[in-house]
Amino acid sequence: MARRGQSLAAALADAGHRVFRHTVKGSPRGVFCGMGICQDCLVSVNGAPNQRACATMVTAGADVRRQEPRPSLAPAATVAAAPPVARADLLEPDILIVGGGAGGLNAAAVAARAGARVLVLDERKVAGGQYFKQSAAGLSALDAQQAQGAALLAAARAAGAQLLEGTEVWGAFAGPELYAVTAAGEPLILRPRQLIVATGAFERPLMVPGWTLPGVMTTGAAQILWRSYRSLPGRRIAVCGSGPLNLQVALELARAGSDVRLVAESAASPVWHPVTALALLLADPSLVSAGIGMRLRLQLAGVPVRYRTELVSVAEGPARELRATFRRSGREETLELDALCMNDGFEPQNEILRLLGADLSYDPVFGHLRCMRTSNMLTSVAGVYAVGDCCGLGGAPAALAEGRIAGAAAAAACGLTVNEDIDAARRELTRARRFQARLWALHDPAPRALDKLSEDTIICRCEEVSLAVLRAGISDGADHIGDVKRATRAGMGCCQGRYCGPVAARLVSEASGRSLIDSSFFAPRVPIKPVSVGVLLATQEALDVQA
Amino acid sequence: MSRPELLVVGGGIVGLSAAIAAAQHGAAVTLIDAAINAGTTANAGSLHVQLQSRFLRLYPDQAHNVEASLHLYLEAVREWDRLEANHGPFEMVRHGGLMLAENATQLKFLEAKARREAARGLDVDILERAALGRIAPWLGPQVFGAELCRDEGKLNPLTANIRLRAVARRLGTTFVKDRIVTLTVGDNVQLRGELGLYKADQAIVAAAWGSGRLLGGLGLALPSRAEPLHMNITEPAAASIQHLVQHAERSITLKQLQSGQIVIGGGWPAQSRGDDVVPAVLADSVLGNIALAGKLVPGIRELRVIRTWAGMNTTVDGKTALGRIPGAERVIVAVPGDAGYTLGPLCGRLASELAAGLPGEVDTGPYSPARFAAR
Ligand SMILES: Cc1cc2nc3c(=O)[nH]c(=O)nc-3n(C[C@H](O)[C@H](O)[C@H](O)COP(=O)(O)OP(=O)(O)OC[C@H]3O[C@@H](n4cnc5c(N)ncnc54)[C@H](O)[C@@H]3O)c2cc1C
Repeated sequence: MARRGQSLAAALADAGHRVFRHTVKGSPRGVFCGMGICQDCLVSVNGAPNQRACATMVTAGADVRRQEPRPSLAPAATVAAAPPVARADLLEPDILIVGGGAGGLNAAAVAARAGARVLVLDERKVAGGQYFKQSAAGLSALDAQQAQGAALLAAARAAGAQLLEGTEVWGAFAGPELYAVTAAGEPLILRPRQLIVATGAFERPLMVPGWTLPGVMTTGAAQILWRSYRSLPGRRIAVCGSGPLNLQVALELARAGSDVRLVAESAASPVWHPVTALALLLADPSLVSAGIGMRLRLQLAGVPVRYRTELVSVAEGPARELRATFRRSGREETLELDALCMNDGFEPQNEILRLLGADLSYDPVFGHLRCMRTSNMLTSVAGVYAVGDCCGLGGAPAALAEGRIAGAAAAAACGLTVNEDIDAARRELTRARRFQARLWALHDPAPRALDKLSEDTIICRCEEVSLAVLRAGISDGADHIGDVKRATRAGMGCCQGRYCGPVAARLVSEASGRSLIDSSFFAPRVPIKPVSVGVLLATQEALDVQA
Repeated sequence: MSRPELLVVGGGIVGLSAAIAAAQHGAAVTLIDAAINAGTTANAGSLHVQLQSRFLRLYPDQAHNVEASLHLYLEAVREWDRLEANHGPFEMVRHGGLMLAENATQLKFLEAKARREAARGLDVDILERAALGRIAPWLGPQVFGAELCRDEGKLNPLTANIRLRAVARRLGTTFVKDRIVTLTVGDNVQLRGELGLYKADQAIVAAAWGSGRLLGGLGLALPSRAEPLHMNITEPAAASIQHLVQHAERSITLKQLQSGQIVIGGGWPAQSRGDDVVPAVLADSVLGNIALAGKLVPGIRELRVIRTWAGMNTTVDGKTALGRIPGAERVIVAVPGDAGYTLGPLCGRLASELAAGLPGEVDTGPYSPARFAAR
């Protein structure tokens, strides 16, 4: 029975549905990213195909169906007779903030307090971002972390910032001029005086044979199911990859009633890093004790945490259970599971920044691009600020501090007087960054080496392109990532190359010996997220009326 | 006897096709390509035959040049048929192209155009709404009629490019990635690149927008210009749209690939960032191009656009430039006129036949670059 405020994905998970659709090649797919980027959970709702179950809320009497890989076009007469998409609105706030997570909300509160007209857009139904994941059903906070997020949201609203939730930005052009669609499907044209990009990151998966099977999902997807919708991804669960989020979510799921059979961390146990652990303790005693507390609580909850343990492959068993094989010091072990959660680091959602031409450089430690900024969080593009994980992984505490700094700077750029203790925010940022660096020294923030990966591993989920095919394309003369895309179709699907792009970039770099830079990755192109022809038509019609 | 040596500058559809044909004629071919902004890697795969309204509108002074070349387009799609048969599949079909009219005036324009085209051997017809509705039920109710050109078609250029490149490689073509900076002609042809020096008996210049600059030193003022253009593609839908769709007055091409995806383009502008950089996508083009598509084919409004891109087209004077350079006969230029991907394989083959001294079945005289020679 679906509950109010649940996503379709959560309701379907509760009802025991794992397979939402099949690809053109016949492979089953379900929830993977949980946050609207992988496009794997597409279903047909009331006859409209290509709706993301993770981003679509349950409504009474909705007719939800498994959709055809290639849905039929609506008959011309039906469409012509249907009411047109709502007219587009043109909004010109002083400050537009894209992303209502830790960084964006703090920036909004600061700038609005200074008197700026602030508009925050967030694609999720309830803002808060990935760290503060809020309940979508208005339930009371699960814990201090969720409560802090709620307070942040309330502070931004109380300061007078306007929040548009469920609103997705699809275009960013020089100006800056942005284009978006609201939850109601209404197109927006945005011409802010100042722009703060706070779009966060998405999770880097562990690509192994079988990682596209339904039931395999990112750790964040499982956390959203629980924190936002109070649904569980399954009964028997394992969590793998590297990083602190895996530990936290394992504990949350165990407490929520899942049988968490394993947390597989690829890094060595912190016991092997006494120096780093000590440095961490000095950097921020409270967070470390929280971390140690986490380990203790996991132990109490009976969740085994294994270090230097790698996921090898996933397969489906005879009873449709997932069979996940892990390797630890040469020995392999296979677990029977209902869900496998994976997080192997983060990739910044830097599409808007790249489209606007901001300077970015490659960070080999985290294996992704970092956005260059002044101490005021101003990018190389006039009037465009960037905060938080979209600039490269930094964590929530750093994003909070960066948000305050950017909010103040953007308000000042609008000619407003800002009464904010920015020096305190800068000190906070220094502390947070020091802590973050040491925290990740205990994990494996760099992407996995590709040489040990089995050649039949799917790299591009959408077009189902394997590592072998990618390598063949490269050795066949494709020596730029654009050539690789054209030669193999990797990156041409609905997720727009988000997962395969970083891998393809590294393969080309390894083959060519050229080091990674911004242009090593897929060229940034609109739409940032798939956007319907109908919405674009309505946007153009609004512009025609205006002219 | 040693094999004649041939250099081909430019690795787009023209250069590839020239290399394939020349190797088949027994030449030792080296293909040198800068691999920057090739129209061939960005194009939409429409096989154009009828006069494109976009071109007539944008370059009215060159309209007669295109019209005089119509038979070349017919030859060109037949060349594609042969390539498809020998080296395909390229997901190619020739179900014809529809040019839509939304009112009586536009249909009148198409009627006049169709008469001119029929006189030059094209298989064209004017369809009133009822007849049109039977073959294209997915058109919006406002569409008034159309011209159908049965010679037109579509293919997947990605597939064709990969396959043709493999053919060229199999035939022994040497591929070099370099940009040619100077071209000199004496007892042989010498090309100086950024990385190397190349010599051969003859050279074919198939460098699209880069051709004019290379040939300037030979006293030829070839006005090859880079024209940045915009494209869009949607997620897949069930196979429904067979034809290549265009409009009598507005810029659009729309078609469905075998993957089920709808490809929308038709010459909307992109923003140049210099010849060496991939052009940028403009908001006006995304919105304008897609909005028009959604009006003409309402059933696609629920589909999502998943990608846009921009690439470099090349324009000359509406007419293909194909032939030996006056005073520097060892060099042959091959830059196709409008809809250069359609014309590419034919242009490439004809250029290599000129190089081999073979009598071609097409008279290339009208396309001679002599029209650009300094007087
Ligand atoms: C977006 C778009 C859509 C299009 N759609 C269609 C369509 O649907 N149907 C159609 O018929 N046509 C279409 N066209 C046109 C078509 O793509 C081109 O006319 C055609 O591909 C040109 O082929 P080419 O071989 O002459 O040159 P190109 O494919 O442009 O290749 C030229 C090559 O020469 C290289 N080069 C340039 N200078 C030098 C130098 N000095 N040294 C070495 N190399 C050099 C370039 O880097 C490039 O690789 C489209 C074009 C664009 C941009």
